[in-house]
Amino acid sequence: MSRTEPAASVTDGKPEVPALEASYLAKSFGASRALKGVDLTVGAGEVVALLGENGSGKSTLVKILAGYHEPEPGGELRMNGTEVPLPLPLGESRSVGLAFVYQDLGLANELQVVENLFVGHRVATGVRQAAKPIRWGAERDRAREIFRRYGVKLDPTVLVGRLRPTNQALLAIVRAAEELREYRDQQGQTGGVLVLDEPTVFLPQHEKVFLYELVRRVTAEGIGVLFVSHDMTAVREIANRAVVLRDGEKVGDVRLTEASDADLIQLVSGHRISRETIEAATNYKQEEAVELQGAEVLLSVRGLTGGRLNGVDLDVHAGEILGVAGLLGSGSEDLPYALFGDIAGSTGEVTIGDWTVDVSQVNPRAAREHGAALVPGDRKQQGVVAELPVATNMLSLSLSNFMQGGFLRHGKLRAAASERAQTYDVRPRNVTLNMASLSGGNQQKVVLARWLEQAPKILLLHEPTQGVDVATRHEIYELMRERARQGVAILWVTTDFDELATVAHRIVLCSSGVIEGTIVPPFSRDRITSEVYAAAAKSGQREVSKAS
Amino acid sequence: MTTNLDEQSETVPPEASQPQGGATVSSRGGFLAKRGHLLESALLPVAWVLVIIGFGLHSPSTFLTWANFANIFGTNAVLFVLVMALLVPLTNGDLDMSVAENAGFVSMLIAWLNVTHHWGIIPAIIAGILFGTVFGAINGAIVTRFTVNPFIITLATGTVLLGCSQWITNEQTIAGVSPKLTEWTFGRHIFSIPIEFYFGFVIMLIMWYVLTFTPFGQRSLFVGQSREVARLSGFKVSSVRFRGFVIAGFIAAIAGVLNVGTQGSATPGSTSPLLLSCYAGAFLGLTTIQPGRFNALGAGVSVFFLATVSTGIELLGAQAYVEQIFNGAVLVIAVVFSQVIRTRRAASATT
Repeated sequence: MSRTEPAASVTDGKPEVPALEASYLAKSFGASRALKGVDLTVGAGEVVALLGENGSGKSTLVKILAGYHEPEPGGELRMNGTEVPLPLPLGESRSVGLAFVYQDLGLANELQVVENLFVGHRVATGVRQAAKPIRWGAERDRAREIFRRYGVKLDPTVLVGRLRPTNQALLAIVRAAEELREYRDQQGQTGGVLVLDEPTVFLPQHEKVFLYELVRRVTAEGIGVLFVSHDMTAVREIANRAVVLRDGEKVGDVRLTEASDADLIQLVSGHRISRETIEAATNYKQEEAVELQGAEVLLSVRGLTGGRLNGVDLDVHAGEILGVAGLLGSGSEDLPYALFGDIAGSTGEVTIGDWTVDVSQVNPRAAREHGAALVPGDRKQQGVVAELPVATNMLSLSLSNFMQGGFLRHGKLRAAASERAQTYDVRPRNVTLNMASLSGGNQQKVVLARWLEQAPKILLLHEPTQGVDVATRHEIYELMRERARQGVAILWVTTDFDELATVAHRIVLCSSGVIEGTIVPPFSRDRITSEVYAAAAKSGQREVSKAS
Repeated sequence: MTTNLDEQSETVPPEASQPQGGATVSSRGGFLAKRGHLLESALLPVAWVLVIIGFGLHSPSTFLTWANFANIFGTNAVLFVLVMALLVPLTNGDLDMSVAENAGFVSMLIAWLNVTHHWGIIPAIIAGILFGTVFGAINGAIVTRFTVNPFIITLATGTVLLGCSQWITNEQTIAGVSPKLTEWTFGRHIFSIPIEFYFGFVIMLIMWYVLTFTPFGQRSLFVGQSREVARLSGFKVSSVRFRGFVIAGFIAAIAGVLNVGTQGSATPGSTSPLLLSCYAGAFLGLTTIQPGRFNALGAGVSVFFLATVSTGIELLGAQAYVEQIFNGAVLVIAVVFSQVIRTRRAASATT
């Protein structure tokens, strides 16, 4: 694999001026150097993926481009061949042909699509500008025309908060692309670079295609894209080239056609994860899946109704990882919570370990006592307390073990937490830091550590690797496989079908709140996707015939 | 976890969920609301009509007279203007609790300058409006410069003003303000409604225009929605908020001018009870015309809806304290109702 490639931007074989050319971007925070002189090129119409673990310098790089951080002297930026003085004043990036879409999209949810789309036009200062009438009819027509041009179907008058997440992301990207278009029209320039910072994290897998399609339309206009993402599928789908950062340095600049996933993961992780682990993390064999069916059933559900669930039956055996695949809204995302007694009004019979009971009797505390653990998908809301130290977050369920004579022994707690931080490879190791100072991947390790501390027999996982970088993701997979080997039953709910193909022994297909079928290895993302759609079509048909 | 979404959402075959192929609701909603929300927007005006019919049936000879309505429009003009003062700060996400005291102090100042110090009425009015505007600027400067909670700051600065107005007048009423001012607020009538109502009406239309059809209004909306989104959109959040307080101070001062004109005299604390009424109007306005937004037309309708109900209750022979109970209860109901609308919308199907 080529470690670095000459930073030439060649599209269709003819050399052009790169849309963005940065050299020696560096930044220190106190004593630590977050970015150690990185060069970056994005060609016109090219999609460059920026890969790296959290803390590798990716966000520092993006923030320098956005004008949040002032780079160290020596850093240079050329947009379309023209030297741009650094640091860029905050908010001025637009005027040099840079537009950003962040993970939180920057949309006002209670305002209309059209208001959000043209928010950039309202910046003009001066009383006369500020009082200039807005003709909403004309604005809506313009919005419709823009959406048509980008092949996006959005109603300009609808409130943004009522759009599904994918459409919100599309709106944010269209807005940014449109800003670049205006910049090009006004300045008579070409080029322009759109920076997409993790825009796909919260989107269901099967809807990401709309995003890919939109990015292709944007690049067809000659706009370069810098795509910051952990999502390897998305990177493979749209990017031409990948730049890999680690510890603030550029450790790779590779064409995606020339690098395998394993190559990229090794670059990202700095060979921390052995090639064997990555390659072992492929499919289980069919025999293994079948063999597990003989094991003891640790989690069993009959006729589970509640939330969007509409009569679910399933069994999870000791040592088995059961994947649940479904489209967003199929009910799969309610399953872990219903089983944990967190959805009011649920009915149906469940068996948790040796405890068989109607699900209305289950509450989180009782479920815990019978050996179940839930790792929720919404880490920010349900998983961690950001303003408390790592140690407290990690051991919050086991505090009674650290009580002595009516006092909580903080020293013992910290010592135990440090040990776990070692075991689960939480970085940085300092457990007195606030949870908020950890990266997403490391926070997730802490959440997992908290529940594994309870030695659960049944693990209910909902999107356990959301917003987690590729390397850490594989560590989490390995951690879970390890537990499964020890006889833990794992229910794994995610819309990331690549992940399911990698970790699951068996996959059940959830649609309209019921289990439509079960599939066994060999798995691939494409197979799971088509099975899920087939299941959705089947239950859709049944509902139609029921109605008539 | 979001489990409240409707069940229909996404169990449809893939092609139907594509943005390209999916049928979206399109509407020609204009500046008002979307077709689906039309009922919601019209709820309060309809309630207003029903209230009029109700009281009218009970006492047609007293309630259902033009004189009665002219009275309702005329006597609530000060409140009508004062509620407009709240709108820009509220849209910015700021509560200005000092508007009523600001108006009261401006009234006192005009009477004091005009009567005690023999200033001409025009210079006195100019001084009053200047003072109110500067006071708004002080509120804004404190709030944005030190990033402190505007609710508590404006509550405190308003109280300081109340104290000052008692101080300069020795807690006495100052009577004998130039009749010219009374003439131009309460004396002249158009369709037997005092002219000050029309001042309020013009201010309402200007507010409606500014908040709905100008970049200025859009900036306020974004700032009120999310400071972070506004900042990333390139807005100067602090100066947008600062201007909101200045505008609030300016309009509150106009309310003060009308107040002293209406009464022909000024009494310390005479406008204090208006604070809750104007918040009731603004929040009830949140539920109508442009539901979900603090809007001028909605606030205007709300003020006169509330005034109609109070007048009707008085005609039924209720004691004065009923009005306090009524205003307080309305504020609670309006805030709860607008929150319910918001929650219900958030829970309704996404597109």
